[in-house]
Amino acid sequence: MKLERRTPRAEIPTASMADIAFLLIIFFMVTTVFSASQGLELRLPDEDRDRPPESEEAVFIRVLPDGSVIVDCRPMEPEAILDHLEPELARNPEKPIVLYTDPDAPYSAMIAIYDVLAQAPERRGFEVKNLSVPTQSEVQEYIELFGLNPFEQSCR
Amino acid sequence: MKLSRTRRMDATIPTASMADIAFLLIIFFLVATVRDVDRTAVALPGSVVREESREGAACVVVAKEDGRIVYKFSDGKRTALEVGGVNDIYLEASRIAHADSARQFVIKADADVRYFLVDQVLDTLREAGAREVLLLTRTKDERKGR
Repeated sequence: MKLERRTPRAEIPTASMADIAFLLIIFFMVTTVFSASQGLELRLPDEDRDRPPESEEAVFIRVLPDGSVIVDCRPMEPEAILDHLEPELARNPEKPIVLYTDPDAPYSAMIAIYDVLAQAPERRGFEVKNLSVPTQSEVQEYIELFGLNPFEQSCR
Repeated sequence: MKLSRTRRMDATIPTASMADIAFLLIIFFLVATVRDVDRTAVALPGSVVREESREGAACVVVAKEDGRIVYKFSDGKRTALEVGGVNDIYLEASRIAHADSARQFVIKADADVRYFLVDQVLDTLREAGAREVLLLTRTKDERKGR
């Protein structure tokens, strides 16, 4: 009698694969954080080389504690700052721009003005090349050198 | 005449492609996931202009947590840990800046903290020898001005 040999079919059990895959998806969905990694670049001054600009040749932008802005002693809307800077920088592209923010102002107010200045190339076709953001210790250095805070007193 | 019995059809949902879809989603999450050095919830200020931070940038966090100001620091490799204040940031930052003067420092600060606090951090980083700073922002909707 001839015996019939049955060869079992080789099979990988895949029934649980979808379960595993969906478990992994849920894990990644819960743990994924889309990283906030963009912002505004700022170059800090070199203590030995970068001296603060002379007050009479610079454009002073002052952010007040309530977030309002004064540019060269004139209250100004943030949107109007580029209008003011355009002719100044057309005459002298290297003209220093000083962005001084009152210590009591909200951080977002400083960022708003800094952002306006960073938008100059795209919106107006000129660049703010010589921007200075003095810190409080630099202001102290100023006071020691000149005996006054040029950012507080320049409008008197 | 006897009618033939109606044939019953098995109702099945085709699941053959389910595993493919699932693995595609897994691959998406694997690629999109970034290991963040800091996961502190911070309401960042908005800006239209946004530059990408450099890889391995050190990170300083100034956040409001339960009504108090919290400082955190990361060297860009390890997870950000809470530090006592700007003096601790100075020690860490000067160590990094002396080893690599071109290293970028990212400042992640709450939009509504006083500028004084960010100014202190900027001063500290400057004194520590840092030159390149990135002020972290979120995307600002230009039309709404928010």
